[in-house]
Amino acid sequence: MGAMTTPALSVAGLTKRYGARTAVDGLDIEVPARVVAGFVGPNGAGKTTTMAMLLGLVRPTAGTGTVLGHPISHPAAYLGRVGALIESPAFYPSLSGAENLRVFATVGRHDPSTIPGLFDQVGLGERGDDRYRSYSLGMKQRLGIAAALLGDPDLLILDEPSNGLDPQGVREMRALISALASTGRTVLVSSHDLSELEQVCDWLVLIDTGRSLYQGPTRQLLDSVTAGLAVVPERLGDRPVLRDLLMAAGHRVQVDDDRLVVDVAGADLVALAASINRAAFAAGLVLVELNPLRTTLEDRYLSMVGSGNGVAR
Amino acid sequence: MTTIVRAELLRLLRRRTIVILGLASLAFAVVATLTVFSSAQASSGAPSRRSRASLDALARHGGGTQAFAIGASFVGFFVFVVFIALLASEFSAGTFRALLLRDPHRLRVIVGKLVGILVVAAAALAFAEAASFVISLVLAPSRDIATGPWFSLAGLGAGLRDYGTVLAGVTGWAIFGTTLAVVFRSVPLALGVGFAWAGPFENIVVDSWSGGYRYFPGQVLTSLIRGGPRS
Repeated sequence: MGAMTTPALSVAGLTKRYGARTAVDGLDIEVPARVVAGFVGPNGAGKTTTMAMLLGLVRPTAGTGTVLGHPISHPAAYLGRVGALIESPAFYPSLSGAENLRVFATVGRHDPSTIPGLFDQVGLGERGDDRYRSYSLGMKQRLGIAAALLGDPDLLILDEPSNGLDPQGVREMRALISALASTGRTVLVSSHDLSELEQVCDWLVLIDTGRSLYQGPTRQLLDSVTAGLAVVPERLGDRPVLRDLLMAAGHRVQVDDDRLVVDVAGADLVALAASINRAAFAAGLVLVELNPLRTTLEDRYLSMVGSGNGVAR
Repeated sequence: MTTIVRAELLRLLRRRTIVILGLASLAFAVVATLTVFSSAQASSGAPSRRSRASLDALARHGGGTQAFAIGASFVGFFVFVVFIALLASEFSAGTFRALLLRDPHRLRVIVGKLVGILVVAAAALAFAEAASFVISLVLAPSRDIATGPWFSLAGLGAGLRDYGTVLAGVTGWAIFGTTLAVVFRSVPLALGVGFAWAGPFENIVVDSWSGGYRYFPGQVLTSLIRGGPRS
């Protein structure tokens, strides 16, 4: 595995233009080693193009970068330590899953004796001898992950690994990615399923129109905004009284279904919650909920790309 | 590049492929040999792969592989199509990209795949030539053809020369097909352009400009595999 101090990958000013269209526009990102990094952005944001440049599949128009300490201009220096699933899995339909992996292991000079273990690891078990064309979409994705794991790579780059999977498949893929991360390797995974990324990733890179919007720890992004404090009285009829009480105390309050949402506006959440609780108790009201509303990744994402209001339930 | 060649052989040399390729080669040998022997005329003439074999030519030292050489002169376009289909499908299916994730040298991957497929084609040609020779031996008595010269050193040389000529032609067609596959990266598009170019376009131009025989790839390769330009 790579040294802890060396980022698993970093790019500076990475740009890719296709004629007049700019797919990636001066992107600056850095992903530390041994994290599961989510790569998030709307369709056409430049995620796949960026991943393709990291893997040497697409030549950048401008910019520099390193992967596992090697410049991206020399992908041969690091591709042996990188496993990738880009766009959709691509295999030979007439070959079995195991035969496909043997072909790719030969090209990558990887040990083919690890293939049965990889089938077990990705949950394909006994299906290795079945032809690829008979695989379901979920099985194809799993085979793609197995191929990416050939050679026990230090860095995994997975582009939409849950694409097309049913809910059970998504959950299993999430568990698989978590399991892979627990082995100490770095994983860069792009997905449209933001709840999935929120659960799996400890690092996030958000991009839009080829530019970086955010990069850093997932918790830091989500904790940076608290949408409000939900307050619910025991009796529904007490809600107007509670609202008047809170407003009289100088709080901005919104009614949201059967609860009141108090604007925290940068206040100390614990102190605010305690003061509300004390005031309610003094007024003879019993609260059954006093709960900070955390922003979800989806809310933050939508607010940052300009399509949402950033308020969570 | 050897890893790409080995991977390609690993992909191609499976029991099913070997059986299909073997049967196809055998069928080719049977059809070519039966056709040549049944159509051979008594009239003598210069032995040529461009025309029907004469009984006289079949009785010479190169007679044992004459049917193979004549039959193979028609496989060039087939090889062309096969290589376009095999290579262009790698691009459209994404497997070429998947290979590049393990070996980023595009030219090496392309050449490695080309060589790998050519190795299999060379083996199939060798099998077809051997099968054609055996079938020729079986059919020779029916046309009163003496087979003694076939087993001479000159016969061996003729056989090797026929094999080399056919393999060179096949290699040329393979490179032509691979080039189109790499340029167009789509099976239907590459096939369409290949058919249009090597078929009507070259022949129409050559009908009005005889010098095209020496420059157009389809014409050159057809001449090579037939042992000379068409008359």
